[in-house]
Amino acid sequence: MTATHRPRRRLHAALTAALAFAISACSGDKYPNTIFERHTEFNREVLSIFNTMFFWSALVFVLVEVALLWVLWRYRRREGQPEPKHVHGHTTLEIVWTLIPAVILIFLAVPTVRAIFRTQAKAVPNALQVQVIGHQWWWEFRYPQYGVITANELYLPIGRTVNFELKTADVIHSFWIPRLGGKRDLVSNHTNYLWFTPDSADETAWNGSCNEYCGASHANMRFRAFTVTPAQFEEWTAHQKTPAAFGAVAPATPGQPATQPATTQSATTQTATTQTATTQSTTPVTAASFTGWPADRMPAYTEPTKPIPAGISFNAQPGDPARGQQIYSRSACIGCHMISGNPMSMGQIGPNLTHVGSRLTIGAGLYPNDDQHLALWIKNTRAMKPGSIMPTLGKGEYDPILATTVTSGLTDQEIADIVAYLRALK
Amino acid sequence: MATIAATPAHAHESHAHPTGFMSWMSTVDHKRIGTLYLFTALFFFLLGGLEAEIIRMQLQGPNGTLVSAETYNQLFTMHGTTMIFLAIMPLSAAFFNYLIPLQIGARDVAFPRLNAFSYWVYVLGGIFINLSWLLHAAPDGGWFGYAPLTTRAYSPGMNIDFWVLGLQILGVSSLAAGFNFITTIINMRAPGMNLMRMPMFTWAAFVVQFLIVLAFPVITIALVFLMFDRFFGTNFYTTAAGADPLLWQHLFWIFGHPEVYILILPAFGLVSDVLPAHTRKPIFGYPVMVFSLILIAFLGFGVWAHHMFAVGMGPIADTVFGLTTMLIAIPTGVKIFNWIATMHGGSIRFTTACLFCIALVAFFTIGGLSGVMHASPPADLQQTDTYFIVAHFHYVLFGGSMMGLFAGVYHYFPKITGRLLSERIGKWHFWLTAIGMNLTFFPMHMSGLLGMPRRIYRYDAGQGWDGFNLASSIGAYILAVGTLFLVWNIIKSLRSGTRAGNDPWGSPTLEWAIPSPPPEYNFARIPTVTSRYPLWDMKQPALTSEVPHSHRGDKEMEVAVGGKTVGHPHPGPAAQSTRVSESEMHIETETYTPAQVGIVLPDPTVKPFFVALGMVIMLGSPLFMHEAQIREIAGNAAGHRTAMTMFWIFVLGGAALMVGSLYNWLLTPLESDHH
Amino acid sequence: MTSVPLTAGHVPDAHDPHATSTGLDNKKIAIWAFIGSECMLFASLISTYLIYKGRSKVGPFPHETWTDPSTGHKFGAILNIPVTSASTFVLLMSSLAMVLALAAVQNKNIPKRTTSERILGSSQLWLLATAALGITFLGFQAYEFTSFVHEGLSIRTNLFGSSFFTLTGFHGAHVTAGVIWLLTLFAIDRKRGLGPRDEVNVDIAALYWHFVDVVWIAIFTLVYLIK
Repeated sequence: MTATHRPRRRLHAALTAALAFAISACSGDKYPNTIFERHTEFNREVLSIFNTMFFWSALVFVLVEVALLWVLWRYRRREGQPEPKHVHGHTTLEIVWTLIPAVILIFLAVPTVRAIFRTQAKAVPNALQVQVIGHQWWWEFRYPQYGVITANELYLPIGRTVNFELKTADVIHSFWIPRLGGKRDLVSNHTNYLWFTPDSADETAWNGSCNEYCGASHANMRFRAFTVTPAQFEEWTAHQKTPAAFGAVAPATPGQPATQPATTQSATTQTATTQTATTQSTTPVTAASFTGWPADRMPAYTEPTKPIPAGISFNAQPGDPARGQQIYSRSACIGCHMISGNPMSMGQIGPNLTHVGSRLTIGAGLYPNDDQHLALWIKNTRAMKPGSIMPTLGKGEYDPILATTVTSGLTDQEIADIVAYLRALK
Repeated sequence: MATIAATPAHAHESHAHPTGFMSWMSTVDHKRIGTLYLFTALFFFLLGGLEAEIIRMQLQGPNGTLVSAETYNQLFTMHGTTMIFLAIMPLSAAFFNYLIPLQIGARDVAFPRLNAFSYWVYVLGGIFINLSWLLHAAPDGGWFGYAPLTTRAYSPGMNIDFWVLGLQILGVSSLAAGFNFITTIINMRAPGMNLMRMPMFTWAAFVVQFLIVLAFPVITIALVFLMFDRFFGTNFYTTAAGADPLLWQHLFWIFGHPEVYILILPAFGLVSDVLPAHTRKPIFGYPVMVFSLILIAFLGFGVWAHHMFAVGMGPIADTVFGLTTMLIAIPTGVKIFNWIATMHGGSIRFTTACLFCIALVAFFTIGGLSGVMHASPPADLQQTDTYFIVAHFHYVLFGGSMMGLFAGVYHYFPKITGRLLSERIGKWHFWLTAIGMNLTFFPMHMSGLLGMPRRIYRYDAGQGWDGFNLASSIGAYILAVGTLFLVWNIIKSLRSGTRAGNDPWGSPTLEWAIPSPPPEYNFARIPTVTSRYPLWDMKQPALTSEVPHSHRGDKEMEVAVGGKTVGHPHPGPAAQSTRVSESEMHIETETYTPAQVGIVLPDPTVKPFFVALGMVIMLGSPLFMHEAQIREIAGNAAGHRTAMTMFWIFVLGGAALMVGSLYNWLLTPLESDHH
Repeated sequence: MTSVPLTAGHVPDAHDPHATSTGLDNKKIAIWAFIGSECMLFASLISTYLIYKGRSKVGPFPHETWTDPSTGHKFGAILNIPVTSASTFVLLMSSLAMVLALAAVQNKNIPKRTTSERILGSSQLWLLATAALGITFLGFQAYEFTSFVHEGLSIRTNLFGSSFFTLTGFHGAHVTAGVIWLLTLFAIDRKRGLGPRDEVNVDIAALYWHFVDVVWIAIFTLVYLIK
């Protein structure tokens, strides 16, 4: 073993030197979705293989192209040159250049096989479990150990292994946070796993995306991941577990699945029962200090830049959250969305909105979560996000999928009220 | 039967080729069918290129708004489908058609009418699938059409219907051609043309036909399942019924990976034949080049799941498919090294054809190396479905296949049309293409590794991708200009190109022993072949004495040039006296009518066209069935009946036309004076 | 124009079987290529059936009984092996008839003396017999399909229904094509008599027919017999 270690170490030193420039050039400051970062053991495995691959590929590339250029220059046709000698082959040479690639491949194959088994081993038992459920075109994240359900924004404690359980509600999607690891497909009727430990990550935000073409808004199926301190993570989960912040009705009786959707799931998870038991009280927990990533600390690369599509406008007085809650609770919204604490809102199809006001983006990372975008979103989602399954709700709006104009929808003022309500759900 | 007529060989009437519209509709001549394939495929290449240009315009900067998400998804789906099935494969088929009989010394393919049928199915299938644009319903599921996205539940429109039906139609064309060429190569070689004397292109074509006939049935079944799911409510990909979406992926890639070699190996073959002519040296290591072709094809059937490393197949399957994929690098690398060795010691003429060959060697290497990089499953997890993959396969398919096919176009255009393409315009075409290609696709490596997913119609600003995308788009515009030079070159040279003569390049293989364009019957007298390089033997016997001659059939080489036998291959007194100089070859371009040389050719017939038409109508008719289903759901009973009536009219009418024409075809002898 | 030295008799003719590179007729090579391709077609179909075996969420099932939990309706095992064994036997016998038909065409010119020689040497009889046995097989299949639908298994019911009907339906379509081919040969035989010149045409039909038969043996074993 020692005999093999030294050349390998030397090789790695050489590689590091050779790639230092490339990798530093591809750092996260300038390239916020680069794969060349080492914040997780997953990416360190991949990067080590990539470096080996890149080294050999670059070597072969340079040798081949230099040989080619030299041959082209040396044997270009010249005036008065006799016809070249006809050489039909050279067995030894051909054996040599069959064997050399074969030997190089061994250098690639050995670390590859090792990394396959390392990255696909079972996650450590005390890992944070996150269920990732892909939907056209948004992400549902469930923390069964904490009884938390959220959408499109993923919170990960620094230093703790996270084990993603990947499923899909419809077509195939693919889960990817380039700077942390991945990707892994979400395949119907299959459950896939992916784990890594953001052990050397800063407290920051990361972009994630769907990478398997999944229909009209595949490009708009994105998410943000936040790496936070373990303490912040505990505070965040505690806050997420509370019912809706605005006008929450009395907590539902135990056993009513609507308000406690995660209870049954967390009960099945052994590792976290004690942890969750304390936080599973039915009374709202007093506001925790860390309730979500602060908007002013969003790195620029996580801020949505998509302009509002032409042709939609919104014109209303500032809304009233109480009125908004009433309108919301008798509108079509409740058929699809869940707001824990609002017994009318028990839908399972769309994203859970219990703490929607604390999220930084809407529409799976498509727009910033502000009054204007949220109002336009509710008014005509399908104009805001191509192919969206959420129907067009604004009165008089043209629904591009049904190709009809909505006659009995919400007025701008009603939408403004709903926006005020939802924005209050911090 | 094609036997020597007793009539005097030089009868005096000299009727020219018929050239009217009907003569093209009814032709069964492999050369004219090859020409049809060539120009049809070039048209679809321009169409697929136009789609690519719109894609690049949309992605030129962040938040592109040139086209909608839906249109963009149709564009990238049709770009892939068009380039693979309607441009590159048929361009290869153009060369299969034109060259295989000429290179093996045959008068036509084994089944000339089946050959016409293949072409008509291809062109009608291509029209069918593109008709969807007129309905604003072009396929939008990606060229790989992953279920369950492509099932009715998630793609209710006609888009995927066009794709499913169109691909089945095109599959028939490829399969029919595959059987035809396999038979032709196995059975119609000239005396002495044993397998190890066949030109490299014929070898590549031979291997590719096996890939086609073994891979296409698999996608046919995958498509049949999808079609049944969409039209008849079966459950093959219905996840609610317990179906496994990976079934589609496995079936698709069992076809899809050999398909990659179906696209690239003909280009490899062309380069292996074009390069020796322009470097004045035989291909280096012919046997190894042949065996590597076979090995690539063989391994190509065992690596399909490397397209699926992200689906979670488990570590064992990942290991197996990762390692077999790496193995393919070995025979592929050997080909690169042998091409360089072919040029080594040669006298390289930088003609446009040769430049494109060199470009293949230079650029395909990049695609091959990045291919090895994602043969490693853990590394692939960070690369798959990003622009890194887009860069990789465009280096393979544009840097490889298209460069080889362009080399073939420049090299064989004079054989096909009798006129050389302009070298001056050709150089513009080459350099703009080479620069444009690298500027388009190299930055995609970077944007991919920097996290840009594939198949996105827009991206946010500030992701670090803007510069790379702008570079890619500028490259694409340069490529478009380069392609316009090709179009200009073809149009100009067809009218006023330099007359080519038999053999403008000093090539070694049989197709250059006959006039350009070749007479209908190809060879007035079928040559007897004694080596791999019959024309070089004839012209420079001393130089080719190293060519391994076979043990059997070592007869004197007799190549008919315009009906005149010339040349003896072996060094010695006889060879000295009959040595033919190159200039003399150019003069010998006499073309006779078939009657003059006593050859009976197959009768022209439009029956294959009508069989193809009937089949396409029949296979396309389920579109009405879907319309009927929509109307039924909408409660429109009368509309439902109308659509179903249309369906039955089309399906039965198409079937009747197909079967009737087929019987008419099969019961009519190939040649009118059969007895 | 100089005289063309083409009077020498040896010019290979693509359509003369003795002039081909292998000595075999082109059609013979093509049918083998076609059969190779068809192997992949049926391999895909059979693999799909086997992959989906036991993965249907609802019954009925091929070899097991099933009670619908919502209605309480009991479904029997779908496959009826005795009946299918009979149809398999019929198809096997058709291959025998096909062999005799080909032999009869090949030996057309040998004079027949006895009645049994005349019967054995009647290509029309054996072609018709092969087609008739093929039609009998198709009749069995039609009976099988209708009774399965009657028992509650359609192509839409479950994964088993979809993969079973598609697989056996594809095979049935191949038998149908073969029957039409054989009846066409029979019609030609009646009209002008098939001679040794037509041997290859009967030969390739026979190869196709035997292939379809062999595929059925595989289907019968893998689908019907293995539980």
